[in-house]
Amino acid sequence: MNLTESALGLAVGVAALAALAVAALPGRWRPACAGAGTALAGAAGVAAGVAALTGRPFSLSLPGLLPLSGLEFGADRLSGFFIAVTGAVAVPAGVYATGYLRHSGTSRSACAFLPLFAASMLLVPAAAWAVTLLACWELMALTSLLQVLAEHRRRPEVAEAGRWYAVMTHLGFACILAALMLAGGGSLLAVRHLPAGLAGTVFVLALAGFGSKAGIVPLHAWLPRAHPEAPSHVSALMSAAMVNLGVYGIIRTGFGLLGGGARWWWLLVLALGAVSAVYGILQAAMSSDLKRLLGYSTTENMGLVLVGLGAAGLFAGTGHRVLAGLALTAALLHVAGHAAFKTLLFLSAGAVAQRAGTRDLDALGGLRGGMPATTAAFAWGALAASALPPGTAFVSEWLLLQALIHGLPGGGTAAAVVLPTAVAAVALTAGLSAATFVKAFGTGFLARPRSDGAARAAEAPGSMLAGMALAGAACAVLALVPGAVLPALARAAAMTAGPAVAGLVTLRLSGAAGELSPLLLALAVLAVTLVAAGWLRVLPGRRARRAARLWDCGAGPLTARMEYTATAFAEPLQRVFDDVLAPETGIDVTHLDEARYLVAAVEYRRRVPDRVERRLYQPALAAVRAWGEAGRRLAPGSVHRYLGYGFYAVVALLIVLTVTR
Amino acid sequence: MSAVMSGVMTSTVYVQLLDLACGALLATAVVIVWRRRLAAIIRTFAVQGAALAALAGVLAVHARDVRLGVIAAGVLALRAVVFPWLLGRALAASGPAPGERETRPLVNVTASLLAVAVLTLIAYAVSRPLTALAPSPAADAIPVGIAVTLAGFFVLVTRRRAVSQLAGFLLMDNGITATGLLTTASAGLLTEAGVSLDVLLAAVVLRALAGRMRDAFGDTDLDDLRELRD
Repeated sequence: MNLTESALGLAVGVAALAALAVAALPGRWRPACAGAGTALAGAAGVAAGVAALTGRPFSLSLPGLLPLSGLEFGADRLSGFFIAVTGAVAVPAGVYATGYLRHSGTSRSACAFLPLFAASMLLVPAAAWAVTLLACWELMALTSLLQVLAEHRRRPEVAEAGRWYAVMTHLGFACILAALMLAGGGSLLAVRHLPAGLAGTVFVLALAGFGSKAGIVPLHAWLPRAHPEAPSHVSALMSAAMVNLGVYGIIRTGFGLLGGGARWWWLLVLALGAVSAVYGILQAAMSSDLKRLLGYSTTENMGLVLVGLGAAGLFAGTGHRVLAGLALTAALLHVAGHAAFKTLLFLSAGAVAQRAGTRDLDALGGLRGGMPATTAAFAWGALAASALPPGTAFVSEWLLLQALIHGLPGGGTAAAVVLPTAVAAVALTAGLSAATFVKAFGTGFLARPRSDGAARAAEAPGSMLAGMALAGAACAVLALVPGAVLPALARAAAMTAGPAVAGLVTLRLSGAAGELSPLLLALAVLAVTLVAAGWLRVLPGRRARRAARLWDCGAGPLTARMEYTATAFAEPLQRVFDDVLAPETGIDVTHLDEARYLVAAVEYRRRVPDRVERRLYQPALAAVRAWGEAGRRLAPGSVHRYLGYGFYAVVALLIVLTVTR
Repeated sequence: MSAVMSGVMTSTVYVQLLDLACGALLATAVVIVWRRRLAAIIRTFAVQGAALAALAGVLAVHARDVRLGVIAAGVLALRAVVFPWLLGRALAASGPAPGERETRPLVNVTASLLAVAVLTLIAYAVSRPLTALAPSPAADAIPVGIAVTLAGFFVLVTRRRAVSQLAGFLLMDNGITATGLLTTASAGLLTEAGVSLDVLLAAVVLRALAGRMRDAFGDTDLDDLRELRD
């Protein structure tokens, strides 16, 4: 029994014990117990993941635990990476939950299933056989569904979000089940040589199943519903850890199980990734619900990861092993970075939602005074997410762009068309995400409060702040010294994408020209900022200083109603992307009765519906409903009719048997 | 009776007695489909129970099997006495008029009889492979059991009154029991007892349900239940 195995066993054991303890304890102790159990399981998961990532694989067979097939666990470097990321998300989420749950007073089941959810996510990458993976996957889906539904008594939207999530996750499960059974079941760690057509079917099914979990367009519809409605530590776990397992599944089936595959697979992955990235961040830019914005941003980031995966598959197929390793490393680094900053952002957004009583950015503002620490946490998370130095996402996106740009020569016609487009999509995404997070931070936290809730908001308790601090520290490590984790990631990527790349991919790329030192870059940015601030202080000191009221066009003191709201901030972007977003706007002008030319009131409405959802899901839902209505005619309520169905079926079967025998 | 008969029962007598019992079984099933007076249906049902018991008894004597003999006694007690009595109680509970009739069956009597004829044909056609498996006088009579089962199902589907539906249900069960007796050389005593208990329980529940329906709706027409859906 090596370190990986014992740490993973410890994580599962701690989580199960915590769940049992929560079920037995009185309400007062439940949040502390559930949170501590989750954090400890996460810490053990980090230990297990790091051990596997640094080259201590394990395999464990439990034949008696599940009838017929038994359970088979095992972890290589790739599994280790995803186990470590999941554990690292569970630690701050667990710490945060001890404070959050105490104030939101959730039920026994919501508390008890939290550690189990974390443990099931740790087990998914450790599953070595198809049936084990499916069992862990389903366990994860069910525990997360129960977590999403935790606050259903207080908000009716939660039930609808839960329905969407339940249906989508089970459709995804069906796809994965079909894919793994078509591939022949059995071990996931061995390469399977299938005929090309069958392998393509398996890959597309797996892409649909795992992609729906990762929130890839057009299977993303559940994500911006379910992630915001869950309690915030669960949003963090889902958005920062669970979606990664979709990526893990695609890597495992595409590179591991099917061993590479045709070029069109990876072009499909790349295209889906690019579309998801751009569409996700556009919807995020339009959203004025803080947590929904973060949910769409998850779709965007998973899209970027898929761009990396697609590029890696494309390069590996044409024999460019170094570039394939680089692209896959960039994707993995982005997974880690996204996990860090999305945890931080969801945790701080949850503190805002709990303290101010609303997630509507249009009604927030002015939180800087009441919640300074949370504001700082969100600001750091927003910087990390917006692909600007010295942020976390900047490093991985830079690596991704390097891989895409250096792959241009010698990639063939398809690469010559697709790669520049992908570069453009990544660049557009980076720009839009900067605008999105400027909007979220600027209108949500700065300026003056636009509602009573925002004005009264007080700082979150220490345990919640401690959770944010942990996530913020992880962001800082990944942003400033990514070199600490990159060699391990490169080895994990090398194992899947190509054998010869290990050690080649650092930030000093030896396979491709280009070099970057995030730490020096951050120091430079800091130095320039300090010099500029100091200069601004020194410069006016020479003249006489005068305090005056802000210029307000002579209209009296400025009120909070005159501020930029989130909707107003996003309006120019909405105009630019009018054709893509197809917003619905309506203006109602009411005139005075006595004078038709004088306006009494103007009402302006704007909605930016999810266009994919409207075009793709609503017709499908309408068809299902029509089918159901047609089916109701078969069931008019007559007992005789029901008995008759059975009778006719039996007689018809007997006749068929007689005739065909 | 077995001690007396086992000595005299030659192969021919056995086959004739077996065919007589099966014929009675099928004939009573047809009568149940034909008659509309509920009281008459119940009397016929008692006769059928006795025929079924006789069938089991003949098989028991032929096979010299004590357990089959016990089953025969149980069938006689349950199907010839207890079920008709339960049905009579249900009929008495369901209305002041003891001569209540199945007023409007969904399929009229003539068509019902024709349908039963067709069902019997199907039963004979479908059970040929079963008969061919192990040709014997008992196996030759398997179609009768299947025909009675199908006729019972038919009554269940086409009758409106709760009591006649109950009769259809029990008819179906008689058919299943007969098929079971004819196909298996020695049915497990425990299995048969379990099945009979199940059917007894179902009959008691349905009887209680019919009484409740009468209290609630003043009638036992099952189509009135249509209002209960959704």
